Amino acid sequence: MVVVEGEVDLAVAPALRDGLEALLAEGHATLYVDLLGATFLDSTALGVLVTTREHCANAGGELHLIVREPRILKVLQITGLATAFPLHDSLDAIAGNTSGDESTTP
Amino acid sequence: MSDRDDRAPSDRPEVISLSFPARADLVVLARFTAATLGARAGFDVEEIEDLRLAVDELVVSFEAVQAGGTVQLECTQAGGEVTITCHVEPGGPPLASRDVGGEELWGADGELSKQLLDALVDQHGREHTERGPSVWLKKRRANVTR
Repeated sequence: MVVVEGEVDLAVAPALRDGLEALLAEGHATLYVDLLGATFLDSTALGVLVTTREHCANAGGELHLIVREPRILKVLQITGLATAFPLHDSLDAIAGNTSGDESTTP
Repeated sequence: MSDRDDRAPSDRPEVISLSFPARADLVVLARFTAATLGARAGFDVEEIEDLRLAVDELVVSFEAVQAGGTVQLECTQAGGEVTITCHVEPGGPPLASRDVGGEELWGADGELSKQLLDALVDQHGREHTERGPSVWLKKRRANVTR
């Protein structure tokens, strides 16, 4: 799981990408991104999530997002991606399913 | 103490000019400026948040076709409408520096950025001026009609 907090923009997107790529490189096909602490998400961060989603799918897995912030849900809806990711509104909803190391970005 | 409320929307045009190096960690300055002007224009919280994201997308999408330099924003509010124009003076390191991921990041999100701008503002576009290419957006307060 990668935990993302604060404003996730062009400055933070590379760290998010690196964290997710590291987990993929370790062999995890299904990843979880905890966006519960995120307050802002722009298209560069969204692009990282879309690319990672494709990598997960290629490896036979999925990229799950844990998100509750209305602003971020709005971004997903505007871009038509709200149905592209498995979405969860709490960590409880995925309890027992996460794998891999946990890292925090930024 | 003055009776004047500095936070009240004003019909007088207010202009903020902002210039900063084209660095990823400084795009927050554009968001902060846009939010301030949106508040001055009488935007509600959701409209301000929309404007913050829109100006971020404006700067970021513009930088995709630029090679770095200095970002120059001209932000105007009048009568419940905010207009922001972004221009980049060439020179210096690109915003999408090596550490940021460069083309790999840009290539993934150009269309997403356009979708967001389409949804968040009333108008946006690109144009060529005598200073070079620029991008702009306009966003009106919800209860303002033109």
